Amino acid sequence: MSDVLSGSLILSKSVLILLSVLIIIRCLRSLLSERYEAEVWAYLQLGRDQLPVTHWENLIGRSHSADIHVDRDRVSRVHAVLVRSGKGVWTVYDIFSKGGVWVNRIKISPHGAEVHDGDVINLGGTPLRFHDMTNEKRQKLEERRTVAGKRVSPFGTLLELSVFQIFLLLQHALCTEEHLPMIALGFAALLALEWFCYSSMRLLGRSGFEIETIAFYLSSLGMSVAASSVPEDLIKQILLMIAGVALFLLTGWWLRSLRRITAVRGLAAFAALALLAVNAVFSEEIMGARNWLEFGGYSFQPSEFVKVLYLYVGASTLDRLYRKQNLFVFMAFSAMCVIALALIGDFGTALVFFVCFLVISFLRSGSIATVLLALTGAGMAGVMAVSVRPHIAQRFASWGHVWEDIYGTGYQQARAMSAAAAGGLFGKGAGSGWLKNIVAADTDMVFAVVCEEQGLIIALCMVLAVMALAFFAVRSARYGRSAWYAIAACGAMAMLLTQTALNVFGTMDLLPFTGVTFPFVSRGGSSLLSCWMLMAFLKGSDTRKDASFVVNPVRVLPEDEEEEEAEA
Amino acid sequence: MKKITHRAVSVLLLAALIIAGLVLYTLRYIDDGRDWALSFARANSGSTGELTDRNGRLLASFDAVENRYAEDAATRTACYAVTGDYWGRSGTGALTWFWDDMHSYSLLTGTTHSSSVDLQLTVDASLCRTAYEALGGRKGAVMLMDYRSGEVLCMVSSPSVDPLDNGEPPEGAYLNRCLSSCFTPGSVFKLVTAAAAIETVPNMDDRSFYCEGEYEIAGVPIICSGDHYTQTFEQAMANSCNVAFAQIAVKVGQENMIEHVRAYGFLDRHDLDGIPSAAGSYPLDFIGDPELAWSGIGQSTDLVNPYAMLRFVAAVANGGKLAEPHLIAGRSGPVTRLVDEDTAETLGAMMNYNVVSHYDGGNNFPGLNLCAKTGTAELGDGSSHAWFVGYLLDEQHPYAFVVLVENGGGGLAAAGPVANAVLQKAVQ
Repeated sequence: MSDVLSGSLILSKSVLILLSVLIIIRCLRSLLSERYEAEVWAYLQLGRDQLPVTHWENLIGRSHSADIHVDRDRVSRVHAVLVRSGKGVWTVYDIFSKGGVWVNRIKISPHGAEVHDGDVINLGGTPLRFHDMTNEKRQKLEERRTVAGKRVSPFGTLLELSVFQIFLLLQHALCTEEHLPMIALGFAALLALEWFCYSSMRLLGRSGFEIETIAFYLSSLGMSVAASSVPEDLIKQILLMIAGVALFLLTGWWLRSLRRITAVRGLAAFAALALLAVNAVFSEEIMGARNWLEFGGYSFQPSEFVKVLYLYVGASTLDRLYRKQNLFVFMAFSAMCVIALALIGDFGTALVFFVCFLVISFLRSGSIATVLLALTGAGMAGVMAVSVRPHIAQRFASWGHVWEDIYGTGYQQARAMSAAAAGGLFGKGAGSGWLKNIVAADTDMVFAVVCEEQGLIIALCMVLAVMALAFFAVRSARYGRSAWYAIAACGAMAMLLTQTALNVFGTMDLLPFTGVTFPFVSRGGSSLLSCWMLMAFLKGSDTRKDASFVVNPVRVLPEDEEEEEAEA
Repeated sequence: MKKITHRAVSVLLLAALIIAGLVLYTLRYIDDGRDWALSFARANSGSTGELTDRNGRLLASFDAVENRYAEDAATRTACYAVTGDYWGRSGTGALTWFWDDMHSYSLLTGTTHSSSVDLQLTVDASLCRTAYEALGGRKGAVMLMDYRSGEVLCMVSSPSVDPLDNGEPPEGAYLNRCLSSCFTPGSVFKLVTAAAAIETVPNMDDRSFYCEGEYEIAGVPIICSGDHYTQTFEQAMANSCNVAFAQIAVKVGQENMIEHVRAYGFLDRHDLDGIPSAAGSYPLDFIGDPELAWSGIGQSTDLVNPYAMLRFVAAVANGGKLAEPHLIAGRSGPVTRLVDEDTAETLGAMMNYNVVSHYDGGNNFPGLNLCAKTGTAELGDGSSHAWFVGYLLDEQHPYAFVVLVENGGGGLAAAGPVANAVLQKAVQ
């Protein structure tokens, strides 16, 4: 290798690492340090105090964890739920309180009662006067909130990402000539897509772009891995990415209306189970798992789409949670999903679902007992799965012993660990690795491929990027309008974190090898599409001022138009 | 809402587990990364450094495109026992065993193209070529080392193969006879019996031995190569008298013989910078005096590995202390006592007397101050292995050597000229 070539390789390596770290830090700073001011939708007047109503779904009670904390003797710990519809109509529900709820001295029915500006809500003897806000007043308040992206410019971060992608392409150019036009097309598509998304957001007046930036950052690494392992098949990866972004926008648009979401939850549950059933019946077994479905020459993994449907069904609004306190329907649905996946033999995805189920059921019930019960049940089911499925049992047996049989059971992981270590901190350069030639390296062992070609630092950035999304989901959940968005966002991140952990630690022999994809980076169609759809869930929980296209802005609109705008 | 969002912290538990996992992985990476990376070093680095001989001559290199070896076929073939090949067809080659030494690994940069390391060996490629040509296509082994420093200058096994020749190799070409084979030693084993006698039988120098060409022990005849009549211990060695050594072996006794054979390392597996050698054998179960007599002459079931014999001779040459032989330049090993100092001195004097009085040193080994012992190991089928082992008494050229020609005939006649050719070249 000539000095010029190796010199440019060293330059591009250092630039890539520097930009990786910068991009992650900028996104983290933007997501975690920006000021979140709660949206205020109405006030409840208690004596002289004005209590702000900061969500669309509010728990009222004596408990400190109630959204509207009313510290009076005869108010129950959780007493009532105050809910705002998309049209701006407020309803109060009694959630089995001791003292009961009256609106204007009329005791409310189990179906709740509408409240309007000036009405008095009486909680077991404590009167609260309800002050709705006119759109003008809300608009004024809204103007005082900080716009997203004020501290850390999303434009700057995206610019860094673009430079990152260009240098990644340059590294490929140093290594290959044969497929360079296609690889260049891949990165051009990436650049075009992200700037298209960014400018569309700006046109819509939205300024939050961190989630997309992280998704595109991970996609760049994914594009690099695909360009390295299957350059002749890169067009598929490009088309899938475009489809993924399209699905992201479509899902985001769908999630704008809570009424629309709740209207088809039953249908979504049915669709999820139907997909799994079709999968279990018609699929062909590949490498021990029957999770592939051939359809007109294209194969796809139904379980990836079931993930999205599962979250959609599993998330719930607050009023439903408190009025129908049982989890049984959800648990039965979850059990059916997990059992179907176990039957299909997709142990890894079953585990991803199960962790997501644990998180969602804990978010919904707050009951550790339920979680422990579920864990015990799953533990027994897991033991059965291991004993029935020989290829799973074998993976457990070789766990922690991959170096003892590098030509047998440890074949893949020993090579993955060796190649990853050979990459050092800075990597060998895009396209220069050899691990990509091992079966399923660019999907199940993609962490090691990135370690080898881009080095440990970028590989760690990659994991940190997924975690940044999780931190954001947890933080923004506190300011969500509806519990549905908070639960969906946290559930989505539980899935992606579990996938990340199984992928990374499975490859590196810290966990059994389960063959789960790394979000956005692993090559693979269905997985990429579902990841983009999950990002829409995350966008739904971002209530910073004018941040997310999934969240309707507070504007001066006639009462009914808000919903109509969403429908349009 | 607040209730739910407080519970959302549970998602952070997952994140914490991932961080813990990453920390654990990174620690293991720091600890074991080198082993991991070098396990598939060739795939990981995509090239190797240059393997060179002591004079910097290229023996092998791999530059990510092609496997390169020494320039001429004769050197490639002669050095094959040392180098082996990139395919690992020889189980004892440097390219197989010194893989780790030919790649560097660092935590920061891992194992990359630029991290291949050149490795210099102690062997002299042209000396190997001389040795290989002296064997002249016969099966055999030649080893020569510096007994002061432990550097191995020559290691040749014949027949050998040109690693670039894709044709059918001769039978046994991938076998390194120096390290991997054991042979019936014949009379060279009398050095071992003599050393054991010096240490266990009092007044060996004052004893005399009488030979009429044949001697019976418990009704079994021991046949000698000639009639040597009355001879001293030293003369018996020079005559290589079977009758005398049969009596000496019986005098030493089987237990003492076993003890010394073991102590001199003939029953152990050794290694040459990690490349393993084969262990020899000596009758360990009770065999009775006649068989014990034969075993003391180097027949019976005795089997000696040429490298083990070289270690013994080198120790004798070095006052009984063995400078651990090595193949990688600059990597000298420990110096350990293998033979008692007085024993080594006595034995050395006897070996010098052999050459001066019986091997016609002036003609056969002109200009060399040589100490040596021949061996003609009878194989029972009329043929015999020819051995010639010894060392130079020369501070400028402190070389110990072993020459073996399989089925070569008489030790001095068949192996002597090979040793002479190699030594003449070595002292040039």
